[in-house]
Amino acid sequence: MSIRRNLVSLIAGALPIMAALFLWYAVCALKLAPASLLPSPVTVFTRLIALAGDTNFLTQAGITLFRLFVGFAIAVVLGVSIGILAAGSRAVATLMQPVVRVLAPVPKIALYPAFVLVLGFDHSSKIALVVADALFPILLATYQGAAAVEPKLVWSARAAGASPAKCLFTIVLTAALPSILTGARIGLIIACIVVFLAEMITSTDGLGQMLVRAARNFQTVDMFEPIITITLLGLLLNAAFNVLSARLLVGFAEQP
Amino acid sequence: MARVNAIPGLSALIACVALLLIWDGLSRAFAVSGLPPPWGPLRELPNLLTEPETLVNILASLRRMAIGFVVAIAFAVPIGLMMGRSRAVAAFFNPLFMVIYPVPKAALMPLIMLWIGIGDMAKVLVIFLGVSLPVVYHSFQGARSVEEKMLWSAAAMGLSASQRLRRIVLPAALPEIMVGCRTGVVLALITMVTSEMIARQSGVGNIFFTALDMGQYDTVYAMIIIIGALGFFCDVGFEAVRRVLVAWAEPSHQIAVGSA
Repeated sequence: MSIRRNLVSLIAGALPIMAALFLWYAVCALKLAPASLLPSPVTVFTRLIALAGDTNFLTQAGITLFRLFVGFAIAVVLGVSIGILAAGSRAVATLMQPVVRVLAPVPKIALYPAFVLVLGFDHSSKIALVVADALFPILLATYQGAAAVEPKLVWSARAAGASPAKCLFTIVLTAALPSILTGARIGLIIACIVVFLAEMITSTDGLGQMLVRAARNFQTVDMFEPIITITLLGLLLNAAFNVLSARLLVGFAEQP
Repeated sequence: MARVNAIPGLSALIACVALLLIWDGLSRAFAVSGLPPPWGPLRELPNLLTEPETLVNILASLRRMAIGFVVAIAFAVPIGLMMGRSRAVAAFFNPLFMVIYPVPKAALMPLIMLWIGIGDMAKVLVIFLGVSLPVVYHSFQGARSVEEKMLWSAAAMGLSASQRLRRIVLPAALPEIMVGCRTGVVLALITMVTSEMIARQSGVGNIFFTALDMGQYDTVYAMIIIIGALGFFCDVGFEAVRRVLVAWAEPSHQIAVGSA
């Protein structure tokens, strides 16, 4: 019963995606749009498969991935440690809350020129932007998760002789894990998007720069490839993250 | 702590002053021309804001943002509510939105410019795309968690399906929808700046990145302050609207975050 329902919903879900692809194909096949403006999906995907073996393309994708992972890793470390500290200490929370309240809704992309002016055009400015953007969802999710930890767990650990600091890292960090992972997943997708935008703004290298260069040379097919690649990367990373968090969260209550 | 929170906005003001002082310290530490101390940009602010050209650009940006935002809400809320109430609709749309979710919306700008030109339409479309997804998602979550008994009672009293959607599901899901809208406002601002940076013609992003290219660092940093303030005040304003509209719901402590 449930397998059949899953199958039905899988087919229902595939329908709109198939319909969109077919519409794209039909528009091109009927020559409703000139191929220079909208290349056929066949052309686009054939080129994508050809590019998958292209060293230059893979190098650019590798550069983008490197920036994404470094930025994301820094954001996770910073976000989780500040969030846990703020949950553990009243003073840190009082200091942190107004600053986060002011900085979180600021469009971080506006800070990018400042990062470029200070850190230069290379990796560091792009990584700094990824950190700035991915940090807040992780930080807030950690703080909210850690603040909602059952106090009895902490009291028991304290009664059993654990120091406050040890409590923070063994009890609070573990109990807040589902919330932290939710925040980290949002941060990961944001990192994916932001690294691409940063590479578009200062087009030195990476996938974003490939899009800008293709647009300047009016190579419409090549404009699709970086966008599709970064989207596929986002979907793959998201799926990998889901597998990882399912393994980490064995024994926790089911997440909505 | 309690005394600081007694005056609204005081803690935010203290945070701003602290951030300016940190900025000042950083500029002394780095000592590069690219990072001037904050006082120059702050003096530049009144000049910039009294210039009619800047105001026209800011208003043009805000207009595009408002249009994109309103159209996105009109489109996304009904879809989200229907997804939340019908398993079939959810199964139909969910994978599509999941695939679209990691697409950098602002990166579609070069393609959209090819198709419909560099005018207002392209930018409004990109803002619309950026705002829609979080609003759909939160409306979906809100509609899904509506108390079933209320719907049964309404059905027993003879309300049709569309009436139930409008009179029961919409109000019940409103707090969650507002959370989505608040994320959407921040996202609209981000996509607005990014789209204007790619198609530099008018708007906040245009002044900002043109000043960067010309090396007018004081203007660049003044624009960062203006864009940051826009983000903050959009968020505060939205929180105020939310408090009036759904005063009965539990206050959400969620702070809006989002990215293009």
